[in-house]
Amino acid sequence: MRRLTTSARAGLFTLAALLVCLLGTWLLFGRDTPALRTDLLAMLPATERNPLAEEAVERLTRASGDRMILLVADRDDEIAKTAAHELGTALGKDPAFASVIAELPPFDPAQLVAPLLPHRFHLLTPTDRAALAAPGFDASAVLRRQLNEPFGVNVGPSLADDPFGWLRHWFDRQPWSQGTLIPEDDLLTAHRDDGSYVMVIATLAGSSYDDGVQRRALAALGRAEDAMHAAHPNARLLRTGAVFYAAAARAGAERDTHVVGIASTVGIALLLLFAFRSPRPLFIAFLSTALGVVGAVVTTILVFGQLHLLTLVFGAALLGEAVDYSIQYLCARANAGNHWQPEDGVRQVRPALMLALATSLLGYALLALLPFPALRQMAVFAIASMCVACASVFWLLPALARAPARAPISAPLVHAARAWQRLASGRRAVVVVGLLVIAAVPGWLRLGHDDDIHLLISPPPSLDAQTAIIRDIAGMGGGSQFWLVEGADAEETLRHEEALTDRLDREHIGWTGMTAMLPSQKRQADNLALLCASQGSTGSPPATGDCGERMRSAMLAAGFKPEAADAYAHAFPGTPLTLADWQAMPAYTPFRYLWLERASIVVPRGQDDVATLKAMADGLPGVSLIDKPASISALFGQYRGQAVLWLGGALVLVGMALAWRYGIRSAWRVLLPPAAGIALSMGTLGYLGEPLTLFHVMALMLVLGVGANYAVFLREGEPHAAHRPGAAYAGVLLSAVTALLSFGLLALSTMPALRHFGITLLFGIGFTALLAPVSAPDTKTSHA
Amino acid sequence: MRRLIALVALLVAFTAQAQSTTQVNDILAHLSTHTQVRADFTQTRENPALAAPQVSHGDLLFVIGHGMLWHTRDPFDDTLVLTSGRTARLTAEGRVERVPDANRGITQVSAMLQGLLAGHADEALRQFDVAADGTLTQWTLRFTPRQARMARVLAGITLRGGEFLDAIEVDLANGERTRIVFANTRDAAPLNPLEAKALGVP
Repeated sequence: MRRLTTSARAGLFTLAALLVCLLGTWLLFGRDTPALRTDLLAMLPATERNPLAEEAVERLTRASGDRMILLVADRDDEIAKTAAHELGTALGKDPAFASVIAELPPFDPAQLVAPLLPHRFHLLTPTDRAALAAPGFDASAVLRRQLNEPFGVNVGPSLADDPFGWLRHWFDRQPWSQGTLIPEDDLLTAHRDDGSYVMVIATLAGSSYDDGVQRRALAALGRAEDAMHAAHPNARLLRTGAVFYAAAARAGAERDTHVVGIASTVGIALLLLFAFRSPRPLFIAFLSTALGVVGAVVTTILVFGQLHLLTLVFGAALLGEAVDYSIQYLCARANAGNHWQPEDGVRQVRPALMLALATSLLGYALLALLPFPALRQMAVFAIASMCVACASVFWLLPALARAPARAPISAPLVHAARAWQRLASGRRAVVVVGLLVIAAVPGWLRLGHDDDIHLLISPPPSLDAQTAIIRDIAGMGGGSQFWLVEGADAEETLRHEEALTDRLDREHIGWTGMTAMLPSQKRQADNLALLCASQGSTGSPPATGDCGERMRSAMLAAGFKPEAADAYAHAFPGTPLTLADWQAMPAYTPFRYLWLERASIVVPRGQDDVATLKAMADGLPGVSLIDKPASISALFGQYRGQAVLWLGGALVLVGMALAWRYGIRSAWRVLLPPAAGIALSMGTLGYLGEPLTLFHVMALMLVLGVGANYAVFLREGEPHAAHRPGAAYAGVLLSAVTALLSFGLLALSTMPALRHFGITLLFGIGFTALLAPVSAPDTKTSHA
Repeated sequence: MRRLIALVALLVAFTAQAQSTTQVNDILAHLSTHTQVRADFTQTRENPALAAPQVSHGDLLFVIGHGMLWHTRDPFDDTLVLTSGRTARLTAEGRVERVPDANRGITQVSAMLQGLLAGHADEALRQFDVAADGTLTQWTLRFTPRQARMARVLAGITLRGGEFLDAIEVDLANGERTRIVFANTRDAAPLNPLEAKALGVP
């Protein structure tokens, strides 16, 4: 490398940069898979030790994944139905949707009943099981009651197919019978005090997280909604579905990226123009930063396959740190005046930059260690962008900044820096820092903590409200808690699930699960035996062969025609319902998500007290309550605790790096600004009443990484700028203000996690930059 | 000329429709003046699977806004409490127990009937086309399902009456037929405590 000329190196670097840019363009736009990810689930850490549980969470979330669930509401029933019909027709014509169900398909109860008829003697509801098992069960009394029910309205299986009513009871317990929506005018309708609600379900022609699908579908819905409002001004449209959540997250993140990106770019540009009073440094600084960002995007996509929106927002804020390296180089250039030699400049800033890079990378590497996809991606993004930005200073910038600077660093900036530097250095300053840290102690004591999942996922409240209403009216979807039931095979899984659902039935907790549709083979055999035993009038169960005969005589006695009684008796005992039968029945297709091979999902209905739900699983083999939000919160808390320890560890590591360079006696002074910055930030957060979250602690780690830079820059830069007191610190302040501009803007983010990040960095970097002069050796300030 | 005929036909149809709706409302409004009614009933159920019609007897108590007690005395003794949207049983010990696995058909028809007897036609009109016949003292209301989905199960419901409701006929699409005839219908004396408790009447 040493043999190469400045130009040759810059040429090679440019070539490499161009290739990386081309690669980046292809990665972003040339592939089939979208490069940007908006999926909220993808950012969350895997919380469950059991991979099945993670799969179950995913299944459940996606069960209503690629569908829009819409309710059209109006005070007037007729208008609600007309509006829903029109909305369904309008959406149905749009290619953005694969299918739209507003009007129900022609319905034939016989088609629902027929597939279950061969299995009817194996299927009993818990109530019927209890009734059959009770002493003194009288089959003929049941028949009589069945025949003389008021109004004689029989929906479902016919009287001849089901004289005792067992199959009808079974039918009424199937999950499709559980909603509160009833078919009216071929539309699924619910009536409330405030009017009628009509359901429209639109299935997207693709994934909810696909950019194009999302945009087309939302645009189509927007047009249809406008048309609906024009025709029926009072009609309301309620919506839910993953696509709306994804779109909201995307809109928030895009807004953040734009605000943070544009505002920090403009701010940094103005600042650099003010400091260097020339456009060339501005161009150089931005080129270096832009290369850093391109390198980071390419590396991240290569490592992770996709770039998450959250990373992009964070990346926009990272501009302020990546620009530091070129600022240091440009400051050196401005301070050198006419003696400027580009390669000398590199040699001059290299130790500071390498040390600064090392401390920053240390901070980010710790983030990358967390098994947390979102943070890991941010860390990789940051590491890549820092390395590329730093490399560009060594290899590209010397070629671009051959000529000496036209003007030294802006005088007012240097004067201000000089004034503050005199004030904030020396023994007196150390004492003041000590006092400040003591003053921060009560703030620490006031620090609470918050590990809620809403730090990461905070959908718009109006969307959540609509989802709640739809869940209430349509009975659709469960919360995020459910039981996972596992077994060695399908049969054992079903038996384990029955142990749970029997308990739930006893406790009157509603549920949706497999065993309401498909009981275990053991349970089915029990049912058959129970049915048979109940036909014995004297308490001694008849032989299985006699059961059909006894049912026949009971039916004849009750007044059935012989043909009807014969047909029923002949059908006995039929065959048990199998998993294959269940999978083959179209009516059960919507509920397939409840079954994972050798595991099943049971979703509670109308009960969301976690303690109660957890208690239900106690002592049952293979049953566990999965509560993803709680798991994530617990994980956040655990990481937060660990992160505090890591912060301490990182402090020691950075201290060791500094001791290696400056000696143990001086190292503490260089470490003091970031350490005090962290202590003061925590105190301030405490006084502000901000609860400490994982993201605050993460940000403190960055404060350490970035803040150590400032002390190092100052310490390393000072000897080279001795002819211009204050110039070195002015450079540090410049770096700090650019960082504050970009990271501080994160405090405006819509996502609480990023907001916490931003606020903490705002305080941390601010304090550290102001305290940086403390790092100067004592001798210099003895007479100040 | 053709247009004129069409217009006249439309007008006639409209007035006929309007007249029918007012008549339905008049009949129901008149029925709803009886807020508490007792009657004896005979229910006859015909079904293709039954050798002979199944007959049951009992008595009925109806209270507007609260529901009805359907007391079967013969061929067995049983009291059902039909309130809006739910079916319960009044046990011999005087307890009201929800009927698990209750027949939704019963709940729905009883809810419709309760609405009609209370003078609220709108709920039923959403589901059914109604044809009215006769006078206020001797009338017939025929309810035909408006939706194919329901028509596959239910062919129609016919109510007959004069001062009170006299008979209900439920015809199912598969040929099943249930006729309920009321006799000795009268405005009910005050409820006994058990009845009041079962129906939630204060």
